[in-house]
Amino acid sequence: MRTGLSRRNFLTSLAQTPKLEYGTLGRTGLKVTKVGFGCMITSDPSVIARAIDMGINYFDTARVYSRGNNERMVGSAIKGKRDKLVLSSKVQSRTKEAALADLDTSLRELGTDYLDIWFLHNYRDPAEIKDELIEAQDIAKKQGKIRFSGISTHANQAAIIRAAIEKKFDVVLTSYNFAMDKGLEPSLDAAHKAGIGVVAMKVMAGGSRFQGFYPTDEALRNKMAREGTMLAALKWVLKNPSVDTAIPSMVDTDQLEENIRAMSSKYTDADEKLLAARLEEIRPLYCRMCGKCEGQCRLGLPVADVLRFLTYAEGYGQFTVGREYYQELPAAYAEARCDSCPGCTVNCPNGVRVAQRMRRAQEIFA
Amino acid sequence: MRKKISTLARLGCALFAMIPVAFAQKPDCSLVPGWTQQGEARSFVADTLFEYMDGNAEGYLIYRFVKMDGVNCQSGEDTIVFDISEFADAESAYGMFSANRDPRQPLTQIGTAGQIVPRRAIFVKDKYYVEIGISRDGADVLKAFCTAIEKKLPGSTQIPEKIGWFPTEKLVPDSTRLIPESVLGLRLLRRGYVAEYEYGKAFLVTEDSPEAAAGVMAKLRARFGEVKPAKVADEAFEVADKYLGRLCFFRKGQYLAGYAGVAEGMDPVALSAALAARIP
Repeated sequence: MRTGLSRRNFLTSLAQTPKLEYGTLGRTGLKVTKVGFGCMITSDPSVIARAIDMGINYFDTARVYSRGNNERMVGSAIKGKRDKLVLSSKVQSRTKEAALADLDTSLRELGTDYLDIWFLHNYRDPAEIKDELIEAQDIAKKQGKIRFSGISTHANQAAIIRAAIEKKFDVVLTSYNFAMDKGLEPSLDAAHKAGIGVVAMKVMAGGSRFQGFYPTDEALRNKMAREGTMLAALKWVLKNPSVDTAIPSMVDTDQLEENIRAMSSKYTDADEKLLAARLEEIRPLYCRMCGKCEGQCRLGLPVADVLRFLTYAEGYGQFTVGREYYQELPAAYAEARCDSCPGCTVNCPNGVRVAQRMRRAQEIFA
Repeated sequence: MRKKISTLARLGCALFAMIPVAFAQKPDCSLVPGWTQQGEARSFVADTLFEYMDGNAEGYLIYRFVKMDGVNCQSGEDTIVFDISEFADAESAYGMFSANRDPRQPLTQIGTAGQIVPRRAIFVKDKYYVEIGISRDGADVLKAFCTAIEKKLPGSTQIPEKIGWFPTEKLVPDSTRLIPESVLGLRLLRRGYVAEYEYGKAFLVTEDSPEAAAGVMAKLRARFGEVKPAKVADEAFEVADKYLGRLCFFRKGQYLAGYAGVAEGMDPVALSAALAARIP
């Protein structure tokens, strides 16, 4: 039996090699593929090896992913190819000493002498960005252990991006996707103009707070992939000129092959339609917890909380959890009924059908 | 009437019996003398976990995370962070543990399996996954907390049965992991176990039925193109792949399994036959 690619597979892979596009991460000058690779939930190192061969040159991990096992997996996958790649990791520790110790561990696990970008991981309050952590990044730069400093944010992104500009970080890594409101875009533009590299994550509107947008139900996810919704979501992010690269989490080879196509195909009206349809599907159902409904209910009901409990039950199949939370509400709220109200006073700016959803919660939980 | 009272009494007993179980799943600082709770207890479900660990929540969600309860505890200058996560089932919780343990450190016998290193302890029992971190080196304190909470967590301490199906010869100790999605990086292999060997890795995926498994085998053949039929269990083939190395896939009933990345000098078909013999 022959080893390596068969002739047929080789020819197929040649035919399928997509066009690559590159972005420059601000003043760092790092030239990265517009689609990078988020390694957090990658199931096998072979997916990363394949991505490198396909031309993807930016890979991101973090010290906390799988308690360090992820960095080790990435290290094994990039062995012998490190110099061709842009590699970033992140540190969650909140003191200088701990952060620098974590950096040494990251380097050891990744099998490299340096990181191209070292992110302070997961900031939502600018006050949390301590000087000693910036000092840790400066020390690491002087020691040659990192080339550039970065900060990552999943919430309150605009404030963190402003802080990143003020504190002269080199790169910012932020969640950004079609389901978010437009308020973030001026911040991305400002970062770009300030010479900060902008890396987008959670681009599929997946993962945590937008879990409802990225259903855990396998059948629905497959349907979205077939229709091209996931690819459209990635293309939507890449069409923003202030975004230098995006790093969708890639589990498997199929996802890699799909995502890489985002670089060679334009965002079209058809994509817009797909995303609009997806937003419409979820709009009446999923509360985004923006809090704008607070105080609007004439009965004083905590609308966002109740809708969240309903999401536990119907969005994630966790009926018991939803009911448990509902029943912990003060009795006056748990026993209130929207049917007794002459008309709903709550207007959701995101189009959630509040009265209907509240009635549903009362029907199944009370 | 007597029957009705008896029924109510049974119901009352059942509800009473459930109370300690409900409380037992929450972390408690007073489990170890000298420790007290610092601040409020926390609780998260799938779509709020990001509030606690944004940037790492997906690593939990992918293992069918249900909820997490946590507290911080204090004793003098020392603090611990104590979290108990519930997953959809025992296999998923074990999967979370197997993904997060340090494969280079020894395991400790706590619950189904555990690991204690100087500043943190993790263990799994049934569908619960416990994580405790301490602000100084303190394996003794970690062990005391683990031992105390383990007794309070309900459920079985059995390791998932399928882990025992992998041959043990030249198996890297404690290397068997649950891959929650896309075994070997292939979406066709939805969820299953991977065990590391000195010469490659074995895998095992469970499909819903023999017919479903046969359907996946057909798709695998199509995906890899030029494959060579092999005689293992119900059906099998071998192939070489640039990224997955020398491979053998076989099907036995509803199970898809085999070896990948097999080193020269070892026969993926013979190895697969040995694995197939251990699958009931």
